[in-house]
Parts: sequence; C-alpha cells; structure tokens
Amino acid sequence: MEITLTHYLVLAGLVFLTGMVGFIVRRNALVMMMCIELMLCAVNIVFAAFGRLHAAGGAHVFVLMNFAVAAAEAAIGLAILVEIYRRSRTVNVDDLKALME
Amino acid sequence: MESHATEMMLRWIVLAPLLGAAVNGLLNRRLPKQAAGLLACAAVGVSFVLSILSFLRLAGMAPEHRLLTDTMATWMGLGNFQVDLGFAMDPLGAVMALVVSGVGFLIHIYSLGYMAHDHGFARFFTYLNLFIFAMMTLVLGENLLMLFVGWEGVGLCSYLLIGFWFNEEANASAGKKAFIVNRIGDFGFLLGMFLIGAVLLPQLHEGEGLFSFMTLQHHAGLLAPAATAICLLLFLGATGKSAQIPLYIWLPDAMAGPTPVSALIHAATMVTAGVYMIARLNFLFVLSPTAMAVVAAVGAATAIFAATIALTQNDIKKVLAYSTVSQLGYMMLACGVGAFAVGIFHVMTHAFFKALLFLGSGSVIHAMSNEQDMRVMGGLRRKLPVTFWTFLAGTFALAGIFPLAGFFSKDEILWKAFSSGNTALWAVGFLAAGLTAFYMMRLLVLTFFGENRASAEVKHHIHESPVTMTGPLVILAVLSVVGGWIGWPAFMGGGAWFEHWLDPVFAGGHGVEHAAAAAHGAAHAAGQAAHDTTMEWVLAGASLAWGLLGLTVGYFVYSRRTGIADGFRNLAGGFFYRLLLNKYYVDEAYDAAFIRPGYRLSRTVLWKGMDAGLIDGLLVNGSAIAVYLVGSVLRLFQNGAVRFYAWTFTLGVAVFALYLGFSG
Amino acid sequence: MEGILFWFCGALLFLGGLMMVVQRSAVVSAVWLVFAFVCAAGIFAVLEAPFVAILQILVYAGAIMVLFLFVIMMLQGPVLEGEGKRIPLGLWPLIALPPAAVVVLVVGYLRQPQKTGFAGPVPEGFGSVSHVAGLLLGKYLLAFELISIVLLVAIIGALAIGLGERKLPWR
Repeated sequence: MEITLTHYLVLAGLVFLTGMVGFIVRRNALVMMMCIELMLCAVNIVFAAFGRLHAAGGAHVFVLMNFAVAAAEAAIGLAILVEIYRRSRTVNVDDLKALME
Repeated sequence: MESHATEMMLRWIVLAPLLGAAVNGLLNRRLPKQAAGLLACAAVGVSFVLSILSFLRLAGMAPEHRLLTDTMATWMGLGNFQVDLGFAMDPLGAVMALVVSGVGFLIHIYSLGYMAHDHGFARFFTYLNLFIFAMMTLVLGENLLMLFVGWEGVGLCSYLLIGFWFNEEANASAGKKAFIVNRIGDFGFLLGMFLIGAVLLPQLHEGEGLFSFMTLQHHAGLLAPAATAICLLLFLGATGKSAQIPLYIWLPDAMAGPTPVSALIHAATMVTAGVYMIARLNFLFVLSPTAMAVVAAVGAATAIFAATIALTQNDIKKVLAYSTVSQLGYMMLACGVGAFAVGIFHVMTHAFFKALLFLGSGSVIHAMSNEQDMRVMGGLRRKLPVTFWTFLAGTFALAGIFPLAGFFSKDEILWKAFSSGNTALWAVGFLAAGLTAFYMMRLLVLTFFGENRASAEVKHHIHESPVTMTGPLVILAVLSVVGGWIGWPAFMGGGAWFEHWLDPVFAGGHGVEHAAAAAHGAAHAAGQAAHDTTMEWVLAGASLAWGLLGLTVGYFVYSRRTGIADGFRNLAGGFFYRLLLNKYYVDEAYDAAFIRPGYRLSRTVLWKGMDAGLIDGLLVNGSAIAVYLVGSVLRLFQNGAVRFYAWTFTLGVAVFALYLGFSG
Repeated sequence: MEGILFWFCGALLFLGGLMMVVQRSAVVSAVWLVFAFVCAAGIFAVLEAPFVAILQILVYAGAIMVLFLFVIMMLQGPVLEGEGKRIPLGLWPLIALPPAAVVVLVVGYLRQPQKTGFAGPVPEGFGSVSHVAGLLLGKYLLAFELISIVLLVAIIGALAIGLGERKLPWR
C-alpha cells in the first residue's frame, strides 16, 4: 500500500504520545529526560515528512537545529541533575519538594 | 386667602416649653428639685399667656381675617415642592392652643405635688414640657407636615411618659405598645400624605407650599377624586392617635404611666389630635361622604363599645381610660356627621372634666398609698372632701347633666347626629350616654361612698392632697361647670358663641344639614334660627333624663348593695361579665392574629432564613468558603510536586496546540 | 520497498519507545532508546533524508545517549525506579487528558482534505550532504550561527554547573 503523509504523522503522533505519557508518569528524572528526547525525535519525523511532501530542504535544516537544541538541553539538564544528586542523593522527583510553598 | 397679620408671638408659644425641656433635660442633676418643677410650670405658663394674647388679638380682628401666621424658615424647597417651618393660628388653633396650654399648665402645677417624692422629678418635667412643645407644633403648624411632626412628637413623649417608671417591665411594655400601635396608624397617615402629594404636586404653582392648609383648602377641588382614599388613610392615623376601633388598645394600657400623664396626654390633649386633624382638614373630608360615614360609624361604635367595657373594670384609671375612648368616639361621631365645631367643643369640655377626673383619681390613689383597685376603696368622701366635690362635678359633667359643660357638648353631638338623618347613630350615642352615667356613678360610689375596705395600714395614711394638687382640681371643676356656657345653643336662647367663633374655619363644612348656603360669619346664625326647635328640646330633655336615670340607677345598685349587680354579673354563667371584664378579648385576638404570626415569621423566615441562612451562611461564610475553594485550587500550582508540574506543562502545550490547530 | 521499510522501522521505533517508557531500570531504558533512535534513522532514510539519518545516529544515538549513559552510571544507587506510591486509578483520566488533546489535534488535521501522496518525485540530490550544507551555509546561515552560539552557551553552562562555583577557571 502506498505510504502517505498520514502514516508518518500517525507514527510520529504515537511516538510523541508515548514520550508524553512517560514524561508525566515516570518518577526517575533521568528517564523523564529521555522521554523528552523521544518527543523531540517524533517532532523531527514530522518535519522530515513535510519536507519530503513539499520537497523543502529547509525542513532538514530545521531538524539539524532540533538536534543541536536537544543536545544542549540534555547537557545542561544532566548537569543540573548531577548537582541535585550531589546535594540530596536522590533523583526521584517526588522527593524534590524544595519548590513547595 | 384673606389678609392676615404676622405674629412673632406664635413661635414662642411653641418654643417656650421646648426651652424649658432643654434646660431641664440638660441641667437635670444640677438644678435643685423645686427649681426644675417651677421652671417647667413657668415655661408652660408663658405659653398660656401668649396664647391668651394671641386669642385676644384674633378676637379684635374681623372674622374673615382671623389668621395669625409666623413663618420661621423654609424647611424644604425643591421646585414645586415647598414646605415652610411655620405656625399659624386661626380660631380653631386658638381654641386648641388655649386648651393645651391652659389645662397643661394646671397639670404641671398638679405634678409639683403628685411627683414630689419621685426620683425622676426633673426628668418628668422635661418630658412634660417636651410634650407641650410637640402638641403646640401639632395644633399651630401651618401645614400638614408640621402637624405630622407634632403628631410624632407627642407619640414619642407618650412613649417616654407611659414608660416613665421603666423599671417595671409592664410599664415599659405599655409604652412600647402605645408607640407601635400608633405607628400602624401613622403608616396610614403617611400614605394619605403621599397621596395628597401625588395628586396635588403636579398642579401647584410656584411658591405654594404643598402641604400648607391654605393651599390644600384652595385646591380642594383637585383632590376630590382621591378624597375618599386620602381621608380613609388619614383616618387610620386618627384611629391610632385618638384611640378608636381598631387601634384603641394602647390607651387602657397607657394607664401604667403616672396619673398626671394620663390626665394630660391621654385625656385632654394628645388623644384629641386625631379629632383636631379631621377638623383641620374638614374641607377635604366633606368631599367624601363615604369617609364621613366611616368616621361617624367608627366613632359611634367605639363610643358604645368602650362604654360597655367600662362597666366592669375594677381599676379606677382603667374605667376612666375606657371612658376617654368612648368620649373620643363621640367627637369622631360629631365630625363624621359634619358638625366639626361641635366635635371641637366636646374636645374642650372633655378636656376640662376628664382631666379633672383623672387628677381627682390621682388624688385618691395618692391618698390610698398607690392603690388603684376600687374594690378596696370606699368612704373617701369624708376624708377627701375637696377631691370628692370636684370629682362629683366632673362626674356630673361627663354624664351630661344640665347646666354642666358636658351637657351642652354631648347633647349638641347627639342632636347633630339625629338631624343628619342617621337615627341609628343617634340611638347608639344615646345608649352609650346612659351607660356612661351608670359606670361613672358606679365609680363614684365604690370610691367615695360606703365603708372603706382597705387595710388598716392604708386607712391610716388617707389624707387630703396638698394645695398644689387640689388647686387645679378646683379650677377644673369650675371650668367643668361653666365651661359649656360659651356654647349655649341658640334654641335655648344662647348665642352659640363657640360655634360662631369657629365658623371661618368650617365655612362650607357643615355637612348634610346645611347643604345650601356655605355661609361666612353672621349668615350662619340666621340659618340656625330658621329651624323648628321642637325636636331639639325633646332630644335635649331625653338626654338629660336618660343621664339622670343612669346616675340614679348606678347609685342604687352600688350603694344599697342590692343583689342586682351580682345578678347581672352571674348572667349566663358569668359569660357577659367575663367578656366585658376581659375587654372582649380583643388584645388576645390581635395577639393570635398578628403578633404570633409576625413573631413566627420573624423567627423562621427573617431570622433563620434570611439573617442566619442568607446573610451569615451564604454571603459571609459563603464568601469565605469561596475564597478557600479558589485558594485550594490555586495552591496546587505551588505544591512543589514536579510530576504535577510536568502534567501541567503537557496540558498547556496540548491546549495551545489545539487552539492553534483549530483557529486556522 | 519503501513501504516495507516504513512498516519495519516504524513498528520497531514505536516498540522501542514503549519499552523505554515501561522499564524499571534506567540503563535498560537508555538502551532501548538507542535502539529506538536507530530505527528513527531508518525512517529518515525512507523519507529521502540521508544526511539527517546519519546525523541522527552520530549525534543522538552516538553522543546524547552516551552522555545519558555516562550520567546514569555515575549516579549509582537510584537508577531503579524505586519505591513510592503508585498512581491512583482515579488520576489516569486526568493524565490521559493531554494525550487526548493531541489525538484530537492529529485526527482533526487528518480529516481535512490534503495531499496525501508523496506524489511528486524528489529533485535530484535532495537531502544529500551537499544539498543540506548548501542550505545551511546559504539561505539559513543566520540560524546556523545562532545555533552555534546556543551550543557554546550550553557548553559553558554545563561546565559551570558541573564544576561548581568555586572551581570555575575564571574565578
């Protein structure tokens, strides 16, 4: 059967949803960050699909931007996580209540 | 209207007692006791003297011009709506002012003796002076609104004075009852005034005071369509103030106040305010035959109703109280048949002898160490001679015995009722007159004749009252005897000077009998002489005979101790006796019909429903709860729970995306 | 050909994502994610984006995930999910709310009439290194520079946070 844009979008959607649910449900901060990466990947797929549809190279460029942002965000996020771990010996987000009123 | 003279004296007739009240009220403790009393008497004395001077001034003027005015200031002025702070004295006002200040003055003197041992001596005189002030405002006000101010003022003073010995709950309750019942009547009065304003205001020219009596009389024609409603509403106020059916219930309870109060306020002056108001607005009332009929009917009914109750009462003051209610009924009857002047005549004579009777009873009570139950009195005529003889004069005057004052006024009322064509009204009044004579004799006998039935302790203290008390008694007794002579009717050869004096006020207000010829001044006498006077003689004779019969029967029944009294008492197993003794259970009926439901309504709806439920619960507590609920939601945004934040992020993104997606 | 590849890579991608989310162990999650990324690279390849596909493996799977694994190894103890309350049943509808919204969005989009087929052929060299490079250093030069700055800032930031205030070289 012909693979249409729809298929790619649905695939990306499913992956995105999986990442989203995982982000809400998981307690481990590291896993939460990995879910974020998964969501970003789904978005990349959408961009590439539309790029193919319109034969637009700009979509690929944007995907590269996305890679860079994901990397930067992973780096900073992990650095912060490490620092939190050093101070409170946990990465369980339920235990990180310092922001509570 | 006609030309008149401005008279600065008028304001001092009204303000002198106010000054007295102010001084006494403010310097209460610092003045020596006697000074307070003398000051108060002096204030009223000034008022009386000025009233006499004003009266003489009026008498010196031509009848059509008899009007003195004294406008102090403009009270309210809003476009067409203009009310002045002013006084006016015409013949009617002169009569009322003289009666109020004269009798008031005598009662002030009397109070010097009666209240001598009371702790609230100065306070009493403050209130008394305040009352005179309010009453003067009422009778000398140049417009309806000033009258109403005085109306409310006397109501206030009545409340203050009835509950004068407020340490006793019964007294305070009586004061409350008087005020509240009066308020109900005042509601009608106010509605009547509003109606007048509504009808008249659009039609007024610039500069005419809305409620001024001159304006009202001038524009009476405009008020004609609404006259019935207005008059009935105003009459409602009169039933309250003048103790007619259905709002008379406060007057017997008002006897809880000191006796001078009962004499002044609840016999001579305040209660006549309703009669005065109707007389003052006679031009309005005659426009509505319906209203007149109602006034007459209520008056007659009240007259006999109260007379029957007075037959059985054991408290000396209560008998006199019901007697007052009954006599006020006569005055209303007179106004209702169009004989306004006669009604005012009766006001005057009644003031004399009723004040006398009350003051006399005060003397008795004083002698009997504050005992008021007649069943333990008796034989006091030997020990209290002055009191006895003056009281006798008052009794005869009230019973309508020729040639005392009551005869002339009461007989005239009955004649006017008869000649207006309404025989039923005459019959009721006639019957009540007989009852009046009877119960007054009963009172006289039980109190002054026979053997004294009190305890030895009380008997020992019986003594005649001091001069300050007996003096006014004598003066009033003299007035009760001769006071009626100025109204000596034409058919008996007199000049009916009283009625003529009031002619300018009631010109055109003679109701049924003088349907033609709205005469001014002298023309009236001619109209009177044209009547065949036979019927008048017959009726006068009948009244006199009936009155004498009542007195005689009363004397025999109660002094010879025949079993007749007991026989009547036990009639129908005591049913009638108990009915009358308990005042036809009217108070109980009102309690069940209005007071209890009102109380229940207040308790369940107003208190529990609205106050506790709505205001406390919903508004006060409710707003607190609402804040709490909102806060408990908002609190979630600060709970530090990371997963909740995460969920919120995704939700926000999703919503935003949805918005973007669907708004395209 | 395209179809088979799509289904194959697509299914594995979804599977990888799913497995990643439900693992108790963070390490295993990370490995599954690597697997998912490789499949994603396959998807990119199918989509005529070879350059992106290779970079996906190099950058994402090769660098970012390695970084993740490093950190996971560093934080020895609590890499397991740990004790804690399970999510009460009543909350699941709430949790499903954002996903539901996304579903609605996607479905709504898809119901509209649209070009479904990748009908048009792709220009020659589309998605190749030179093509993307040309765009990157041509039309999108500004974006390229800016993203470089972002990366620079991220490096500095990561260093700053990681070393702690006292150990920063410029203090």
